[in-house]
Formats: sequence, C-alpha cells, structure tokens
Amino acid sequence: MIMKRLLEFTGLEPERFQARWISGSEGAKFAATVQEITEQIKNLGPNTKMRDTDE
Amino acid sequence: MPAILKKDKLQALLSGLSRAYKLVLPVRENGMTYFKPYQTGLAIDRDYINTAMSPKEFLFPQTEKMLSFKYREGAEILITGAEPQPEKLAVFGARSCDLAGIAALDPVFGGRFPDPQYSTRRDRVLLVGLGCRRASSTCFCRAFNIDPLSCNGADIAVVELEDCFSVEARTDKGHAQLANFSQLLGEDNSGTVETSLSGAREAIDTSFDGIPDPAGIKDFLDRQFELPYWENIASRCLGCGICTYICPTCHCFDIFDVTRGKPDGNRYRCWDSCMFPDFTGMAGGHNPRPTPKERVRNRFMHKLKYHLDRYEIGGCVGCGRCVEKCPVNLDIRQVINDINKLQGGEN
Amino acid sequence: MSEKKTPSQITAKLREECRRLLETGTVHTVIGFARGSLPDRTVPVFITNPKDVEHLTWNPFCAANLSKYLLDHRRPGGKAAIIVKGCDSRGIVRLLQDNQILRDQVHILGIPCRGQYDHRKIPGLVAGETGPPDPESAALVHPELLFEKCAYCENPTPVIYDLLLDDAVEPIAGSNGRFAEITALEEKTALEKSAYWDDHFNRCLRCYACRNACPACTCRECVFDQFDPDWVSKRNNLSENTAFHLIRAFHVAGRCVDCGECDRVCPVQIPLRLLNRKIIKDLDELFEAPTPGTDINVKPALGDFNSRDPDKFH
Repeated sequence: MIMKRLLEFTGLEPERFQARWISGSEGAKFAATVQEITEQIKNLGPNTKMRDTDE
Repeated sequence: MPAILKKDKLQALLSGLSRAYKLVLPVRENGMTYFKPYQTGLAIDRDYINTAMSPKEFLFPQTEKMLSFKYREGAEILITGAEPQPEKLAVFGARSCDLAGIAALDPVFGGRFPDPQYSTRRDRVLLVGLGCRRASSTCFCRAFNIDPLSCNGADIAVVELEDCFSVEARTDKGHAQLANFSQLLGEDNSGTVETSLSGAREAIDTSFDGIPDPAGIKDFLDRQFELPYWENIASRCLGCGICTYICPTCHCFDIFDVTRGKPDGNRYRCWDSCMFPDFTGMAGGHNPRPTPKERVRNRFMHKLKYHLDRYEIGGCVGCGRCVEKCPVNLDIRQVINDINKLQGGEN
Repeated sequence: MSEKKTPSQITAKLREECRRLLETGTVHTVIGFARGSLPDRTVPVFITNPKDVEHLTWNPFCAANLSKYLLDHRRPGGKAAIIVKGCDSRGIVRLLQDNQILRDQVHILGIPCRGQYDHRKIPGLVAGETGPPDPESAALVHPELLFEKCAYCENPTPVIYDLLLDDAVEPIAGSNGRFAEITALEEKTALEKSAYWDDHFNRCLRCYACRNACPACTCRECVFDQFDPDWVSKRNNLSENTAFHLIRAFHVAGRCVDCGECDRVCPVQIPLRLLNRKIIKDLDELFEAPTPGTDINVKPALGDFNSRDPDKFH
C-alpha cells in the first residue's frame, strides 16, 4: 500500500502497481486476476514514466 | 578590436546564433541558473554570477552512449555508433573560470590518445564567454591568475558594460560567426569600451571577499604526503559526489555495458567520483583509498598539485561552486590557507 | 519564567560542559558545530582535546544533523558526546533502534531549537552588502529565512538527551497543518504530479549526498553501489533518477525521522523531504504511526505487527 501510494504521488497511475495474494493451488484465481489486470492496464494506455530507452 | 552591441540587440544576437547552432544560455530556474536550450521568448538571466553546473557537461556529458553492440551468427559482433556525431553547439555565457576549466580538460581528453567523444564536441562547439561584473562570496578565480573579464579561451568574448556590450572575436571560428552579425554590431570609435572596461575591472576587483594564495602550495605538497591535517578535515566529508560533479575540471568517469540480460546492448560512459568509497576498488578487493582521509587528500592533491604535475595547468579555477554547495562547508580556500600555515610552521 | 538564552550564552555553557566532559574523561570525543568559512555556515567538528572546545559554537546556522557521525566515533566501552537539536535527536533514536549505536556509547547534549536559517535563502554576498542576520540574537528576527520544515516542527526540544542546554521549547503550530504541502500535491492530477517530479528528478546529479547524509541509510552495502546486478546504473536519465529516489524513499520508509537533511544537502534543491513525508503521512493514516524517532519505544511501523494493521493488499 505504501509503495502504491508513493508511486501515485509521483504521477504513476496506481493501477499499474498491484499486489495480490494467490496460492500456487489457486490456478483459476491467478488466471482471472491476470485477465482483470491486463484489461485495466490496457484501458490506461501506454505508461509514460520510467521508460527511458537505452539512448 | 572589440565591437559594440547595444543592449537591446542582445536578443537578436542570441536568436541569430540559435539558427546556426543549438544554443544554450543561462536561465533562472528553481532558484538557480542553468544552461538551457534557446527557445524564442526564453529570458536569459541578466543577473547571475555563475551557473549551477559548469559548461563541461556540453563537452563531456554526464551520461554518454559510446557505442552499441549486437551479436550475430558465428560469434561476430557488430559495433555501431562509435563515431560520435554530436550537434553543433554554442554556449553563451561561459565565465572566465569555466573557460579556464575547459582549458584544463583539453589536455586530459586530447594529447597522445585523443578521446573521440570529447574531441568532436570540442571542435564543433562555439564558446561565447561572458565577462563578470561582480564576484560572489565564494568566487576566487584571481587566486589562480584568472581574469574574470578576460574570457580567455572563448571564440567570442562578450562583456557587459554600462551602456552596451563589448563583443570581440578571439578565434577564426569566432571571426567567421561574428561576420554574420555585422548589421547588429557597431564600431567603437570613441574608445568607450576601453574606458568602460577599466571601470568594470575596478568594480570587480573590489568585489572579491578573500582570495587565498596558492603560490607555495604545490612545492609543499610535493614534499609532504602524510599530513595529519587530512584526517582532521576528512572526518566531516560525507563522501558524496557534489564537489566532483559541479567542478569544471573534474573528469573521472566509469565505462560499463547495459545489456538487459541479452547479449546485445550499449556501452556507456558516465561521470564517476573519486569521493565515492568504491571508486578505487580493484579486482581482488583491494582499495588503496579505503577511508575518507585518503579520498579527501587525493581530491585536494589533484586540484592543487597532480593536475599541474601532469599537464602544467592548474586543477582549480576558483569558480567556488564546491564552496557554495558542499553540505559540510569543506572550503578549498580554507585548505589552501591551512596548508600555508602548516608551511609556515615547517620553516 | 527565565529569559531565553542567546546563542552566545548557549555557546558559553556548551563549551564549559564539553571541557568538563573531556577533562574528566567521561567522553573521548565531542561532535559539535564550529564557525564555517562564511558567516552563514557552520561545520561539524570532532573535538578530543579539552582546549579545543573554544571552537564550539551555537547559532541559527547549525542546520546539519550530526547524529550520523556517531557511527564514525563508536568505541567499545567509550562515549562520544554530541550536540543535537530536536530533529537531530530523532536521528539518534533511529541509530539506537537500528542497533547502529548503543545508548551508553553516546552522551547527548540537547539544545532546544527555535528554528534554523537556510543559508540558500540569503542571496550571495559581496563586499559592502549587509551580511546575514546576527547569529547572536536570542529572538528569531528573520522568520522568512527559516527552513520550510521549521514552520511545523514537532520536536523543537530534543526527544532524547542527557543534558538540555536551555529551557524546553514548545512546538509552535499544532499537527493539523503539518501535512499541508503533501495534501496540496496529492490533489493535483496524475499528469501534474508527473510533470512536477519529472522537473525535479531531471536535475538530479546522482551525487548521493541525500543518501550519505541520511541517518536511516546505514547499509554497509548499499543497493545503489552494487553493479552486479546493476539495479540502478550510473546513467542519470530521468528513469534512473526517478527509480533511485523512489527506491531510497521506500527503503527508509517507516524509519525516516524527517530530519530534512536530504533536502538541505541536495545541490539542485530537489524537495526530497516531500517524498519521505508522504510516506510518513500514509503511515500515520494507515498504521497510526507517529513520526519515527519521536518515541524510542515505538518500533518502526513496517517492522512491527499490530492486530489493528490494515490487511488489504491494494
């Protein structure tokens, strides 16, 4: 939570940093979570922070 | 012979320079003055004494990609980008101390093994010096016989006087550039510049607060390496890189590859600081400068002796940035004074 | 109620006390302030000879937090004396809680502080111009020159000490307004926040003065010094600079005592305190944690467990 809020404070959308507690045996939950987060991130569009290329 | 530029024509001069070069000039931002790229309407700082960072970053950037490498079939490595192609840059507002700093860097990166990155930038840059009107409480260029009005080392020297600027080309490159601005410049028929300059010289000479005398320092340091004095002053040093990074003559760097786990990648050169503990860390684990004492001693020996030994040019130009910014007020002027006292004790 | 002591009165008392401590062998070193090379600076000094206590001084330019120097003067069975203001004293609590020093290795001389002048707010002086404010005056005649942090100081009086050199000073403002700067930033849009920090991080030189001055940064091998793996390289582009500051803020989260040194030492005046105070504010909201270092018996929030801790991940 602290990390998320700190990232948000510097202008990163909070949805880009998420933490979940998923056991190795909760395969379905893992798949559902990944799908859900993928949708969220896609809706946010490309991230602009900390993207300096190797130029 | 210096020409005259009326004060209201400065903007036109800058605008003209910006068409031939990528121009950087001193701009006030966040309470300090930085060299910023020219844009129409950008206000030049008319009141600064010196910029937060020296212009060395335009010849020797803090982060510079040296080359890229790609692995191909059959263990062949393709290297690209090793021939630097920097833009043509003009620096407007380089002070005499910083120009002396560039003169101190030239033999480091030139000489027998010229550094291609530095050399190309150095050849292409147009240095427009700006004479100082007053010194700050931390300025001491005079200690090293640097004349704040001289702009020695500039392609074009500009000095702000009472009613006008004096503008003088000092090199062929400077002459060629100024030829493009003949409609902006006027001739000094009445000797205005000469008279104004002596007034300006007097004004600035009285504005220095206390200039140390480094005359006998190198000789003394030639004979004395193990001084308890270094332990005393080193005890407060934080071991950060502020002094080295803002210093116009510091030039140490680190070279490393960034590959992101793949075999392809880029090679970078970045500033490094002798004040960092691991700077002299060697393969095998040995570190010949293990404590702040060795590192602080090395810094002052370099500025006051080693650079002279190697290049016959002083390593310190008296710009005073390190005095201004050191968080623990480690003042090189004080060090010079202290060493003079120690010398007196020796005799 | 006794008169407030002037800085020169405190200086005199300080010298007398330190002379006694050194002469009796109670301490082997005194860590304090001496006049600097400019009228608006002081320097840290390390005095071992009782005669040298004459160098000690106290005035409103004693901004540095000396607590981290205790790490250089630890001796088994020995004591170092140190001069601290309120904010500095939280730094000592930090070192004690982190087991970097032992309580019986330090003799704490606390000076209740009414604020420190930020020399960067005083324009460069030339001969003939008025000098910085008289450091000998008891009253704070130039409140506009104080550090931002002094306006909402929670602990003007040191929170831990063996001797106080002046009467205790009460905090000026209540704690209501202490996070005003943070709230103001939080209310900006993501784009505005991003632009704000990008502007600052672009100036970062990666000099590591902030890290080196910080009493919470005491790792023997710092993540930023490692090159294999090269977590954050020496390149000072915006991404790496941003990463450096976020990582460091998070590494000291819950342990930063808000002494403000990171902010003060930064050569390009990045308002680093705001990052750390944002975390302190969040810890206050989420964990009811007071400013770290205020109470030596309160463990760092991220290093302790309480059944009332929020248990959401996101």
